[in-house]
Amino acid sequence: MNLDWKVVANEPWIWISGAVLAAIALYQCTYFMVHALRIMSRSGLQRREIGGIVRSAVITSFGPVMAELFVMIALVVALSAGFAWQREGAAVGSVVTELVQASNAAAGAGQEFGGKNFDMVGFANVVFVMNVSCIGWLIVAGLFTRYLGIARHKIAGGDTHWLSILSICATLGVFGYWTSTNLIKFTNPQGVPFGVATVAGGLLSIFFFKLADWIKTPRLKEWALGIAMFGGMVIGKLVAG
Amino acid sequence: MANRIELQDIDPQVYEKEFSQPVHRVGSATCLLAILGMFLPPLWLYFQYGVFPPTKAIVVGMTLALTYAAPFFIIEPISYYPILGDAGTYMSFLAGNIANMRLPCAAVAQSVSGVEEGTKKGELIATVGIAISIWLSIIAVFIGAVATGWVVAIFPAPVQDAFKRFLLPAVFGAVFGQFALRGFRYAPVALILALVPLYLKWPGYTAIPLAVFGTILFGRIIYRPGKAVAPGGDGRP
Repeated sequence: MNLDWKVVANEPWIWISGAVLAAIALYQCTYFMVHALRIMSRSGLQRREIGGIVRSAVITSFGPVMAELFVMIALVVALSAGFAWQREGAAVGSVVTELVQASNAAAGAGQEFGGKNFDMVGFANVVFVMNVSCIGWLIVAGLFTRYLGIARHKIAGGDTHWLSILSICATLGVFGYWTSTNLIKFTNPQGVPFGVATVAGGLLSIFFFKLADWIKTPRLKEWALGIAMFGGMVIGKLVAG
Repeated sequence: MANRIELQDIDPQVYEKEFSQPVHRVGSATCLLAILGMFLPPLWLYFQYGVFPPTKAIVVGMTLALTYAAPFFIIEPISYYPILGDAGTYMSFLAGNIANMRLPCAAVAQSVSGVEEGTKKGELIATVGIAISIWLSIIAVFIGAVATGWVVAIFPAPVQDAFKRFLLPAVFGAVFGQFALRGFRYAPVALILALVPLYLKWPGYTAIPLAVFGTILFGRIIYRPGKAVAPGGDGRP
């Protein structure tokens, strides 16, 4: 077999495959957004308030979107541009997850991902395994989300205040975990900058959200998380040198 | 508060008929479509180039991959659902990038709007925030794929390094800080419940549920119906 996997991995078939998934994701999110806006506008939502929601989402997404852009560079180098687009367009994990799964799939074919012996058979296995191994999330989300809602309603028993606290506790639990994965790096001298970035992000976020209340400028809250992310990142980088 | 959104109470029947039902219908259908879409690349590769991996390679590769991913198929949707709600869950698990983008966008949109998390209004506003973030991230990924050279040329290496290595820790810290303000009684418990298993090197699929459901359980234990435990008004981030 004389095909070069890096050439094949950049041809129209893979770009179109990625575009199909991206189109499904965009259709879904646009459909939901239109329905949400329609019902909110009938409940008294003003145009300027929609602007506030959109602005906050754009500002908050900006940092992670830039990070995504740079992560794509690593993936383009490792996987090729077409395959990176197909994998990252929708339904994906982090770059680490993607590369681990690519290595696992190549190992399944008895090859090393990107190594000298990596050929079209290895590439075909990587394409199959990376795509098919992540459908578990879609199956659970697609088939069981409605039951999660029913379970939550039963747990809350119609007490909306408890429902709100339940959501706050869940968020603190999720981000407590992800925050801790970086705080634990303080135990290793090389990991200190990651811990510093995390703590700085947290403190800046608290400061700017409180500042918005102190100076009675609620629009600052649209920027607070974005500023805290950038601030934490810069401080982490400065500490790392 | 100038930009707190004052929505009228939404009739539960209207919400059910005009939002929940279409969301579940389209959410399920699009997730199932995406599952079919996942089979498109290997099938296309086979039909255009005649290449398909041997069964043994698939079995070994899938076993290795699923060992890594399978526990999270169950854990993540259940753990993230209280924050994302119905529409947010469908969107987030279809588009990915949940912890670094979908959850922060949902949280900030709700904070800016001044609505309570877990309520119908909260879910509607989170839906808009998440949807915007999906548009942005797909556009960014496309630019990253087609214009890698341009991105490399424009941004100096230290800037790229800062984004790649330090943005994510800062995002996690910042969102945690935001919610620590909102639920300061629960924040130390969440951290302890996450740090101990990590220190003991337990796998993520046990540590995440422990932190999430342990914090929820703690919240339930100290909750007194009718009393505002979480700060409202000025205390809201």
